[in-house]
Amino acid sequence: MDTTTTGPAAVELLGLVKTFRSPGGQLVRAVGGVDLTVSPGEVVAFLGPNGAGKTTALDMVLGLTTPSAGTVTIFGADPRQAVMTGRVSAVLQTGGLLRDITVRETVQMIASTFPEHSGVDEVIDRAGLTSLARRKVAKCSGGEQQRLRFALALLPDPDLLVLDEPTAGMDVAARREFWDTMHADAYAGRTVLFATHYLEEADAFAARIVMIAGGRIVADGPTEQIRSQATGRTVSADLPQAGAAHALARLRGMPHVAEVTTQGRRVTVTSGDSDAVARALLGELGASNLEIASGSLESAFMTITAAPDRGARTEREVTR
Amino acid sequence: MNATFTGLELRRVLRDYVSMFFIAVLPAFFYLIFGAAQEFGSEDAGNGNVAMYVMISMAAYGAVTATTGIGGMAAVERMQGWGRQLGLTPLRDEGYVLMKAVVAVVVASIPITLIYLLGVVTDAEGSVGAWVLSALVVLTGAAVFALYGLVFGLAFRSEAAVGAASGSLVILAFMGNIFFPLSGTLLTLAKFTPLYGYVSLARYPVTEGYLVNTSNGTVTHEALWGAAG
Repeated sequence: MDTTTTGPAAVELLGLVKTFRSPGGQLVRAVGGVDLTVSPGEVVAFLGPNGAGKTTALDMVLGLTTPSAGTVTIFGADPRQAVMTGRVSAVLQTGGLLRDITVRETVQMIASTFPEHSGVDEVIDRAGLTSLARRKVAKCSGGEQQRLRFALALLPDPDLLVLDEPTAGMDVAARREFWDTMHADAYAGRTVLFATHYLEEADAFAARIVMIAGGRIVADGPTEQIRSQATGRTVSADLPQAGAAHALARLRGMPHVAEVTTQGRRVTVTSGDSDAVARALLGELGASNLEIASGSLESAFMTITAAPDRGARTEREVTR
Repeated sequence: MNATFTGLELRRVLRDYVSMFFIAVLPAFFYLIFGAAQEFGSEDAGNGNVAMYVMISMAAYGAVTATTGIGGMAAVERMQGWGRQLGLTPLRDEGYVLMKAVVAVVVASIPITLIYLLGVVTDAEGSVGAWVLSALVVLTGAAVFALYGLVFGLAFRSEAAVGAASGSLVILAFMGNIFFPLSGTLLTLAKFTPLYGYVSLARYPVTEGYLVNTSNGTVTHEALWGAAG
């Protein structure tokens, strides 16, 4: 990491906590103590399952929600101040557009709130919406509406661009098209912080991945490092009739094991160290019909989120 | 005050033909049927005639339909995520409310202008003071009903609820002595409904506190508030 700092961090979160009172009256901890520093020019992915607290954390970065505890600083200023001066902007999740006006009118409306902006036709062009400028928002597809939100985010020419699950609900083609637009534009020295629950997206676009689960950061590092940690595999085998309970206890107690499930005599183990599990199963546990499969992205994610602490693990099981 | 934003908001409302029908065309039609076309329209009523009395009533109905709808939609839009989008701009809440208020007042003045113009070309008659004052009371009073729409929008969070709020104005207008003069028990009940006081105040420059009663075929005047007169 940088040893010389030339100015304030793009994003600095210190002990960030957000609690809500649920409709049932229970206190829900959506974000449970997050510390994070993002340097100017970094492209960072916020990776986590649904309900991990990503949106809540980003809302606090944007000044849309006030933290219950802790501080948020954007380029050395308060988030609302950063929004007012156009230093930070965002592409929000679905919703939030007026359906009865055209694409161009939407951009005009938001542009009019900024003392200075990049130009209505300019951002429409950069978001690839020129041919749709006169179309009503209601008649635009999900992907087109998302590109419109992107155009709106470009208006203040922000130094920090926040994207909250920008491709949620898009099909594969629309998702690729959106990221192509992003690639073309957002790399121009901008700091980008985006939330996603697609590991491929984080892998393809970010240089750094911050993994969040149960409102806490469970992993943070360069993309390659996180990726190598995430190479969990599943090992399955038939256990002998006798001693099955002992075998399951032994498997659960092994290091790097994220999950152990059974279906009749068949046991399936998700682990970061599949070799050790296979050796134990075929050797001391006397299992047969062994199979090793490279884990799905979801199970890879579980391997990482299960490891650091038990609290995160409990949360994951609740949200599944 | 942001002219571009306000102008676009205004354009949104004006090209919503369905809403504009209920805000301007329908009340104007009601005036022509219940006011201008009636033979008692030319009967005297205080500082004007009965046609003018009906004209003020229908203008008031159109104006509250406008402000209720705009107030309600403002609440729904903000809760459906547009508020978050605006939260990413330098626009402050006060600025937003001010612009919506301007839009509401401008749109409410459309039925008032249209129906008063119809009044001029048909046979509505009244003193100059009555024309000016009644129009002002209709417009300022209608602004209060933006809050009526706002409450529905905030409570039920959907466009349908705002439509229902606007629709409920038809019933409130009947109960508020707007569409035709009530008498007896209905009139007693009317005094407890929200549009009654508003429209009575708007007609005050014409009636000076008297009610018009046409229930027995002839026009008679009754005291507006019990022992008054």
